[in-house]
Amino acid sequence: MKWRYPFVFVFLVLLFVLVASRLFYWQIVKADMLSEMAQSQYGGLVKIEPKRGEIETSDGFPIAANKVSYLLYLNPTLIKDKDQTVLILSSLLDMTKASVSAEILPDRLWVKIKSGISASDKAEIEKLNLPGVGFEEHYTRFYPEASIAAQLLGFVGKNEEGQDSGSGGLEGFYDRLLRGKEGYSMEYSDALGRPILSNSTEVTSGSDGSNLILGVDRSIQFLAEQKLKDGIEKYGATGGTIGIMDPQTGNILAMASSPTFSPQTYFDFDQSTYTNPFITDTYEPGSTFKPIVMASAIDAGLITPQTKCNICGGPVSVSGYELHTWNDQYYKDTNMIQVIQHSDNTGMVFVAQKLGVDRMISYLTKFGIGQMTGIDLQGEISPSLKPRNAWYDVDLATTGFGQGVSITPIELLTAFSSLANNGVMMQPRVVTAYENADGTRVEIPTKVIGNTVSEKTAKVMVEILVNAVEKGEAQWTKLPGYRIAGKTGTASIPVKGHYDQTGTIASFIGFAPADNPKFVMLVILDKPTTSIYAADTAAPVFFDIAKNLLNYYGIPPSE
Amino acid sequence: MKKINVMKKGYILIIFLLGVIISLSIGKAIMQNTLSTSGIYVGEVQEQINEYETQNTILSEQLLTASSLTNIMEKAEASGFTRENTLMVLNASRPLAIKP
Repeated sequence: MKWRYPFVFVFLVLLFVLVASRLFYWQIVKADMLSEMAQSQYGGLVKIEPKRGEIETSDGFPIAANKVSYLLYLNPTLIKDKDQTVLILSSLLDMTKASVSAEILPDRLWVKIKSGISASDKAEIEKLNLPGVGFEEHYTRFYPEASIAAQLLGFVGKNEEGQDSGSGGLEGFYDRLLRGKEGYSMEYSDALGRPILSNSTEVTSGSDGSNLILGVDRSIQFLAEQKLKDGIEKYGATGGTIGIMDPQTGNILAMASSPTFSPQTYFDFDQSTYTNPFITDTYEPGSTFKPIVMASAIDAGLITPQTKCNICGGPVSVSGYELHTWNDQYYKDTNMIQVIQHSDNTGMVFVAQKLGVDRMISYLTKFGIGQMTGIDLQGEISPSLKPRNAWYDVDLATTGFGQGVSITPIELLTAFSSLANNGVMMQPRVVTAYENADGTRVEIPTKVIGNTVSEKTAKVMVEILVNAVEKGEAQWTKLPGYRIAGKTGTASIPVKGHYDQTGTIASFIGFAPADNPKFVMLVILDKPTTSIYAADTAAPVFFDIAKNLLNYYGIPPSE
Repeated sequence: MKKINVMKKGYILIIFLLGVIISLSIGKAIMQNTLSTSGIYVGEVQEQINEYETQNTILSEQLLTASSLTNIMEKAEASGFTRENTLMVLNASRPLAIKP
């Protein structure tokens, strides 16, 4: 009998150890797993999608906003009449019956049918009370002004993970700021799936995207778009671009290009229209470059406005190349004011030779030629200046009248703006401020890139450019009563080492009012057919816009 | 006598503290009971907020579309308005009447 007591005792101890080890296993070893299982039964992690920030023009109008759209999904297990559901959905969603039917697999609980459905279409479908049909609400990008400023804005596409991602223009450049931050929250429910109030539901706090406030004026942008469209039609051009900037702040007031696209339905357009030619296309500026070279030589003290050109009596020969004026008219002993007025190529060869290669490179670098301006838009490029040892005599001569040098329109606009701003070159910018989701507003300060020429030289150049408008080739289209500084440019298009004989790039750059400029504008028309000359095509577009802008700003004539 | 008074005070304090503990416990139980069902109302309120936010977004979409310059220009053209192409600059004062 004695052995029974120890036996029972050992048995009970073993039993206790067994229970304890089992408890240890579940409560210590498998604790995390059980906790997760329990949590998944009464709660779930919910992703909080941030709202993308809006883009507002200077008048506070959201030129890029968000709209509600819906994703229609099906639960095939709940569908009672598959054929009828397929028939109704295909007709309402403008889809083929086969594509809807192919998605309805009986072993699935959730299948996506179509996204981007509008609120009105959703309401129409909901009225039909189709079993198994459900909707998910999403925010998608919405551009109230349609294709206005499309290349400036960019568009919102999808990245590799299927998330919204800004591409091109502002949407691309400021994507991280606009996108915001995703948040996650744990939502608890009771046995019937009803939410339980909890004081610590938020796991990771997110935030909506910031709103961008632009220096772009919606009225000026709209005007530029309309006038560019009219100009292209009127002068039979293949395309064109316009940039308008405030020279004192560097604010871009408008930037329009054609052909363009609609950011809302970007996928329906050719990809070549997505890029912004004002910052991505390079061209030889031609005569619009002459004021830059002339200002450099005056600033270096090598010439004065009254300096006489002693090689301007006929074509100039440089390294075996004969350089002509655009109309083969020559003015012996012409002065520098008249060189710009007549857009005299031989006069500019004289100026370039006075300047020399080293000073030419030095001044062009000061004007930002060959460097990116740093504008806050995605996709800016800038071809570098040739290295010093690649400059030959003929390169120096042709650079004087804007050939053999390649730049982007934004480079020229920025450089030219410095002449309108007493020699101070401002960095061009599109966004002037941004507003965070919590309402705090952050102003982006203006930035001086550098001083190109002295204030005195800039003032001299203003007078030379006013004279060019008053007495130059484009005088027929000038605005009476206003002092406007400007210069035409008819540039040849280099193609495979030669110049295209079929067309030119016609441009006009200028600012007004000359004594206290409110805007600097560059108008470029590609291959105009009614006339190849800028004075007949780009110049009237420039003055047409300038007339409206002066009226818009309430600036009366000064003369 | 003094000792009895001190003991009495101790009892009163203990009873008072017990009373506080019991009333706080009851309060907590009531609060928790109330909160446990408040989730339903909170859920409903949240749904309403979401609904209003959706309606606001839809309305602002309609408002922005209607007030866009593109739309205004289209409507103006459809209504027969034409573009002003006769902007004049007056360089000198004009006489009240010009002799024919």
